[in-house]
Amino acid sequence: MKILAAMAVMSLLLLYVGERVDVVRVGYHVERLKLKKVAFQREHDELRVTVSKLTSPERIERAATDRLGMVPARQGQVILVRLEPDAPSDRKPGRPEVRLASHGPREPGLRTP
Amino acid sequence: MTVVDPLRVRRIVAALLLLAGFVIVLFRLFNLQVLQAGELTLKAERQHEKAITLQGGRGTIYDRRGKVLAINLEVPSVFGVPTSLEDPTPVARELGRVLHVRPDEIEKKLKQERSFVWIARKVDPEQGRRLQRRPLEGIGLVLEGRRYYPKGTLLSHVIGFAGMDGDGLEGIEHRYDSYLRGEKQMVVLQRDALGRSVFPKGFTEQGPSSGHSVTLTIDETIQYIAEKELEEAVAASRAKGGTIIVMEPRTGAVLAMALVPTFDPNSLGSLYADRWRNRAVTDVYEPGSTLKVLVAAAALEDKVMEPQTILFGERGSMTVANTVVHDHDPSGWMTFAQVLERSSNIGAVKTALALGPDRLSRVLRAFGFGERSEIDLPGEAAGLVRDSRSWGRRSLASIAMGQEIGVTAVQLATALSAVANGGWLMKPHVVAEIRDGKGKAVYQASPQVRRQPISEGTAQKLTRILEGAVSRGTGKSAAVSGYRVAGKTGTAQKVDPRTGTYSTTLFIGSFVGFVPAEDPRLCILVVIDEPQTEAWGGVVAAPVFRRVAEQVLPYLGVTSQAPVRVALAEGESIGVRRAGRAGP
Repeated sequence: MKILAAMAVMSLLLLYVGERVDVVRVGYHVERLKLKKVAFQREHDELRVTVSKLTSPERIERAATDRLGMVPARQGQVILVRLEPDAPSDRKPGRPEVRLASHGPREPGLRTP
Repeated sequence: MTVVDPLRVRRIVAALLLLAGFVIVLFRLFNLQVLQAGELTLKAERQHEKAITLQGGRGTIYDRRGKVLAINLEVPSVFGVPTSLEDPTPVARELGRVLHVRPDEIEKKLKQERSFVWIARKVDPEQGRRLQRRPLEGIGLVLEGRRYYPKGTLLSHVIGFAGMDGDGLEGIEHRYDSYLRGEKQMVVLQRDALGRSVFPKGFTEQGPSSGHSVTLTIDETIQYIAEKELEEAVAASRAKGGTIIVMEPRTGAVLAMALVPTFDPNSLGSLYADRWRNRAVTDVYEPGSTLKVLVAAAALEDKVMEPQTILFGERGSMTVANTVVHDHDPSGWMTFAQVLERSSNIGAVKTALALGPDRLSRVLRAFGFGERSEIDLPGEAAGLVRDSRSWGRRSLASIAMGQEIGVTAVQLATALSAVANGGWLMKPHVVAEIRDGKGKAVYQASPQVRRQPISEGTAQKLTRILEGAVSRGTGKSAAVSGYRVAGKTGTAQKVDPRTGTYSTTLFIGSFVGFVPAEDPRLCILVVIDEPQTEAWGGVVAAPVFRRVAEQVLPYLGVTSQAPVRVALAEGESIGVRRAGRAGP
């Protein structure tokens, strides 16, 4: 009986020690994961900065003009179309009302729709 | 005689010695575990545990479309250990190549008789990675927090900047510092024999909350357009500086606030107060003829004038209280509407004299002059409107021409927005919303009416007059093809600081207006400070208004109300995109 009691006490002690060791091991693992998380977070923030830099209008304009040879749209080259949802029923469905944001110069060889 | 068994004696002695040993151990144990328990526990905790203060990251600032304008980054700082270097020359050469710093400067640092020197603080992360890939003898890296402004000079006067210790010092960074600043938290860490952190005491570590994120009403693209056009105009007119404010008249939301000269908040060392001050809210100037709009608003509201009221222009010269008032374009009889179209000083003076000081002062103050607009930016000036009881005929004449009154650019843009908004004066603002670290909204801006200085009818009459000022008057260069524009030019003499009188060479040219006049989406103020080529607001500022509006209106998907014929080449077709998609 005494031996059994001693074994039970020993088992409990071993269980306690084992758990403490486990806690320390998990603690180290958590620390490693936290360091990884911090590194990923840092990389994520750096990528956000990179995206922010790459999408800046100044850079896009410079790339468009310098690298691709594009030029700003002249008056009349950009047309905004207002779609009239309550257009009269005699019109073909879905046919948009064309309205212009800016006028362009009338040039020879052009036709007016 | 009893014979003592020597073996038994030795056993007893050994037992007694063992017992004594146990007693000593027990006593020591009792001493350590009971008598000195408290003191020793404290000592052990000091060795095993380390209390550190963690600071949550500063919140991010976004534009209205979620583009990052300011963010916290952990960036590498480079240090050297000169005492561990035998030959610093090749190390300095390699470092100079990576950090873009002169090698001789680095070499000078590395030749010092010290065990630690900073080579470069808070460098670009890519430079840090290059140094990590190719480690150099005697050179190390350590991470430090840094506020980063990826857009550089863009919107710098509004965003402001944070200092090296993370405190907001200017602009939004300062005004909303209590929201942006990360939470501070004390954490107790348990350390092993090597000093490594094992686990936080009590398993309850959550980490300090990072600061709130702030989303502005500013649109990065509109800001870019405003800054680009302003820079070009300031350079072309060889001006000292300039300001553009783009505002949504219905809400008071500021879409862009551009100032030239500008600065880069990433280079704190090169900053000085005159450069980073947000002059659109802190500086007061005499607005010149742009104030005639508000004088006209007072006259129309009090029925002192109607658009068709006839006034005599005195052929361009009139004396008021021993002061001669001139018109740059001498007129005879003209309507009240033409007073604004031609920007007649004499017509404006006669209007102000007819109104009198009380009525004029009441309306000017109702439009927000002489008080802070309550815009959410630091350092706002209230402007200068003297007590109307001290206004004589001369003061009335001066105020009618936009002199003897000090306004800020924000006040003027807000007042014109009220005209565009049916007479309702809105509170200007630059912050749209604030969210905490978990993304929960803690503040959302909603349009706030301050008061209604003029009726809707007066605002409509004034709008039609201002349309005439653009289509037929001094503001022709502000006309935007396909849209109705209402606005007013201004050319103000500056006071010469040397003589204390109005200068004949220093001017402020300005234009303020809104578009489309029938359904205003944008109110734009352009101020060019001390242009050297031409002084007239209609020449230096009005074209800037047009160029900004021409680009921003299509960007916001604002279509013209007037149908226009479209010319196409043979076989050409139109690509149609749904209008308004690009808009907010």
